[in-house]
Amino acid sequence: MAGHRSKAYEHGYEVGVDIGGTFTDVVCRNPQGELSLVKIPTTRADPSAGVLHAVDHMVRAWGIAPAEITRFVHGTTVATNAVLERKGAKIGLITTLGFKDVLEIGRQSRHNVYSVMLTPETPAFLAPGALRREVTERISASGEVLVALDEAAVRREAAALAAEGVQAIAISFLFSFLNPVHERRAAAIVREAHPDLMISISSEVDPAFREYERTCITAFDAYLKPVIERYLTAMEDDLERRGVGAPLQIMLSRGGVACSRIARRSPVRMFLSGPAAGVIGGRVAGKAAGAHDMITIDIGGTSADIALVHDGKPLIAAEGVLDGYAVRVPMVDVNAIGAGGGSIAWLDGAQSLRVGPHSAGSEPGPSCYGRGGSEATVTDASIVLGYIDPAYFAGGTMQLVPELARTAIERRIAGPLGMSVEQAALGIHRVVNATMAAGMRFVSVKRGIDPRRLSLVALGGGGPVHATALASELGMRQVIVPRHPGVLSAAGLLAAPVEHQAAIAFNAPVTAVAREDLVRAYAELDARCDALMQSERVPRDRIERHYLADVCYIGQSYHLEVAMAMHSDAPLERLTHDFYQAHDRIYGHSAAGSIQFVNLRAVHQASVGSADVASIYAPGAGDPLKGLRTILTAVSRGPVQARVYERARIGAGMRFDGPAIVEQSDTTTVVDCGWSAAVDGGGNLILSAAH
Amino acid sequence: MNTPSRTESIDPITTEVIRNKLEGIADEMELTLLRSSFSPIVKEGLDTSASLFTVNGETLAQACAIPVHLATLIPALRTMIEKYPIPGMREGDAYILNDPYCGGTHLPDIAVMTPVFHRGRVIALSATMTHHGDIGGYSPGSLPPNSTEIYQEGLRIPALKFRNAGEYNETLVAILRQNSRLPDTLMGDLNAQLAACTVGARRLQELADQYGDEFLMRVFEDLLDRSEIMTRQALRMIPSGTYRYVDYLDNDGIDLDKPVRIEVAVTVGEGAIEFDLTGTDSQLAGPLNCVPSGSQAAAYFAVRVLTDSTIPTNGGCFRPVTLKLPKGSLVNPEEPAPVNARTSTIKRIATSMVSALADALPDRVAAPAAGTLLVVAFAGRRANGERFIVGELIAGGSGAARDRDGVDAVDTDASNCMNLPAEALEMDAPLRLHRVALRRDSGGAGQYRGGLGVVREYEVLADGISFTHRGERHFSEAPGLNGGRAGVAAHSIILRADGREEVIPSKALTVLDKGDRVIVQTPGGGGYGDPTLRRHIAVDVANGKVSVQAAHELYGLR
Repeated sequence: MAGHRSKAYEHGYEVGVDIGGTFTDVVCRNPQGELSLVKIPTTRADPSAGVLHAVDHMVRAWGIAPAEITRFVHGTTVATNAVLERKGAKIGLITTLGFKDVLEIGRQSRHNVYSVMLTPETPAFLAPGALRREVTERISASGEVLVALDEAAVRREAAALAAEGVQAIAISFLFSFLNPVHERRAAAIVREAHPDLMISISSEVDPAFREYERTCITAFDAYLKPVIERYLTAMEDDLERRGVGAPLQIMLSRGGVACSRIARRSPVRMFLSGPAAGVIGGRVAGKAAGAHDMITIDIGGTSADIALVHDGKPLIAAEGVLDGYAVRVPMVDVNAIGAGGGSIAWLDGAQSLRVGPHSAGSEPGPSCYGRGGSEATVTDASIVLGYIDPAYFAGGTMQLVPELARTAIERRIAGPLGMSVEQAALGIHRVVNATMAAGMRFVSVKRGIDPRRLSLVALGGGGPVHATALASELGMRQVIVPRHPGVLSAAGLLAAPVEHQAAIAFNAPVTAVAREDLVRAYAELDARCDALMQSERVPRDRIERHYLADVCYIGQSYHLEVAMAMHSDAPLERLTHDFYQAHDRIYGHSAAGSIQFVNLRAVHQASVGSADVASIYAPGAGDPLKGLRTILTAVSRGPVQARVYERARIGAGMRFDGPAIVEQSDTTTVVDCGWSAAVDGGGNLILSAAH
Repeated sequence: MNTPSRTESIDPITTEVIRNKLEGIADEMELTLLRSSFSPIVKEGLDTSASLFTVNGETLAQACAIPVHLATLIPALRTMIEKYPIPGMREGDAYILNDPYCGGTHLPDIAVMTPVFHRGRVIALSATMTHHGDIGGYSPGSLPPNSTEIYQEGLRIPALKFRNAGEYNETLVAILRQNSRLPDTLMGDLNAQLAACTVGARRLQELADQYGDEFLMRVFEDLLDRSEIMTRQALRMIPSGTYRYVDYLDNDGIDLDKPVRIEVAVTVGEGAIEFDLTGTDSQLAGPLNCVPSGSQAAAYFAVRVLTDSTIPTNGGCFRPVTLKLPKGSLVNPEEPAPVNARTSTIKRIATSMVSALADALPDRVAAPAAGTLLVVAFAGRRANGERFIVGELIAGGSGAARDRDGVDAVDTDASNCMNLPAEALEMDAPLRLHRVALRRDSGGAGQYRGGLGVVREYEVLADGISFTHRGERHFSEAPGLNGGRAGVAAHSIILRADGREEVIPSKALTVLDKGDRVIVQTPGGGGYGDPTLRRHIAVDVANGKVSVQAAHELYGLR
């Protein structure tokens, strides 16, 4: 196989496989840069089977020899699902004496504020009391060893946990982020005595202060390791058996990819792999259309995932939320709100129209699906308003029943409010759009960025339906609808850079740090990233090195990530200046106060494969204009005639004005009054506001 | 966008769209506050709130992470607009107040308000309240556990102009700085409040540009009316009648042997609700006294819990609520009674108001939670001579209900504060933590078990550290419900370096020296149902939540 592996990053066929809950999306790029796409139903019981089906499809339908595949990139929900379905491994947790309950105590705050019927807020299921053990050891707040590690206790507790049948052990000691010596020694002892157990130590998973957050993410890591190990090993074996020699790469939650051998060492970094790929795909489509600052919105049946791309880069949040638990692992900052096509419209006690957060889901789904649903949903409203052609939903594979949509809206909303079905449907859209616009506004203002300067990239089946209305709401001037908004996650896999990062806690006032200290610290982090890149055989000349620092005012406990200009003459002065500026931008004020480092981080990125996702676009034959349809929008002041276009037949360079509807198998784009549309060379639909 | 004309009637859809936007604005204000504040009590304790008000002083939208802030700005706002009537306000003005006897809460909570101008006229008010790190008085942090007059608790600020047409009131700023132990933090947090008010004002102005100010102000009224209608509807679902509850606070911090009675009579009927606190003890020598804004926050919390959680929270929800607070009592004290420790009182009032309806609303009301938030604070000097103050707030367990166990170690009712990481405390102050653990057997026994309290053990590493302990439920327990047992009471001790052990009688202010330890054990929540009906008691034992002995004695494990 070594012969094949050496071909990595040479031009061949590149494959991206994104396994979602319902569909597995496959994208293949040939050496000429042309894309082929296919959607395969996901095998719920064995998601990895989807990967093999993808390979079989490529061989059969596209005539590609497995050996010609030079990259195989995979986006997976397996880590996320293992948590949601509680299918992780049985694990044990070993902590500093006195602190085993930290995992269960957490931070003592609650989500449901206005209730006295409460539910636990910490993931104690990862390691209930019986599987949490303590050993004597202590590191001080300045990183010195205060009490030596009781090695016999480590042996004893590990043996007891092994006897309980755990498959992995998480180790989290106090202040290990300052001095990992005890955690490393404890891991070595466990490994020696129990070579079959997997181990996660907190100083490797998340070397940063706050013991609950660090312990929690370390326990998640151990919980996932055996599952991910099995999953990826099986997948690699299967691929090899099929003759695919290219290394398997995995999309991580920061938006970069890494080879599976390295990725599996820290499976918590795979949380939100899918949404991360979607944001990357959106970024690439936006960039191809000339946008650098954008909001991506992926609207599905039950939720809308909103993310911000600033200066061509997706924003990374230091922590995210999984199944209601705050997890401290960097991830593409995706704001998921409970508003989508299946969201249910209802009237509250004062007859106000509300939409969501409850959803009709896909079963029974919106009333128009004809599967027994009787609630008025956003999709039903889209039918009434003329946005969606009931005969051409999902490319005509599913016949919708418009009468059922009307009946539901009449009965649930229009009748009680004494308005027409059309007005009620428009009301449903206005309300759900207000909710989504608030979510979009939040992601931008959170970063001190005025949304009016941004482009909106519409993704998913529902994004392009709402996009112009949302953009108008926020004063945004441009909407980009990529050629294939429904499979953009898979396309994003191919566009994502190989990325490795290394971080250390670095608690020191900025004024107490010399440039040499930073050079030394970053050199160490560089060495760690270099080793990872090398083990993936990434050509050195493709690697970009980024140096980042988490910085805050002394006394503040939220920090900002600021880029370090290590090449400049005075990096510390630059950093101070940049921090003040960022603080002012994000929080609206900054003072020339004392600031301190919290963490240092090196991020190495290497773009691999070809640059663009859909560089070649060839429209189909035939007249793109299919006919006229009456639609109603918030700005149309009554019903208007919209031209209806077939997306696949619109040639590059073509322009038209709203009101218009653009149909394609995976979505429908509404071009509102006051907007005009053009198709660029890559097949992206670019919508612009009139003034 | 549709810009409805002045004559157009208000359609329910536009109302809902605008409501969404108002909540977005409040959230944006809160985000600005939380993220740009300096003091740990804001950042980790979330002890802050942001609100928009109508020109009549009714809440339009509010973002608050903790219910103790719910509507708590209302009396402060009313005082401000009484003293500085709206017609005289100018753009760039900002108003400030903290005096509990002028509508404030306790002195560390400072309210800042700016009028929102549109085309030269005030269309709304944008306001924030933040708990500040230190506002003077005789103990660091301005929360003296044994104060007997408000004058000992810090600087009293009546309603004043903080900024006059964009210019800071430099006289006031100088006085504020001079009176705080942490002047930079104080000013930093006040500026964060101003920034948040400005964000709110700017966004409301955009809204007025879009919809027209006349129309917008009519929508404000419509929104309040709608929430009022819904709240009254929900109140009609509660069986009419008067429901009573009595509970006791440990003591007032001065007379350590005298428990403090809280009595509540909740009368529901005709779509209205009245909370009558007649029967509650007279005002106290110590600082547990609670000015009316506190009972009001507790009452509004209770209404939110007892009615429909989907009702948009605004001033309309509060219209059906009346309070009877006897003058000169714990809940309506007269000057100069001390008030800084009012949070314990509010929490207990809130729990009592909700618990009164346990039989009437069994699906909404659990057994009482421990309902306390232990305050411990350490202050002194680091090895390098710098002054430090660290404090933390430690919860007990929540109550069990007809379908679930209580939650261990969780803040309940009117507050929602985070604890501090041991690592944060040790990096900040000469302290070492030896234990952060669940407190076995502390949850009330029952078919569903009450939540456990926690144990925290501190060692001080320097001499002369002043230590504050403000506890509750040391001398009473959170009762069980329907045969469930009470949660176990709190218990705290000081273990001196020489081996002496001192039991802390709920409240203490003392000095600790190197090697002294403090061990606090917070109380558990009440249990629900007969303990012998509990299934899987062996699992509780294996996980260390119930001892073998308790399993035998209380749960009938054979």
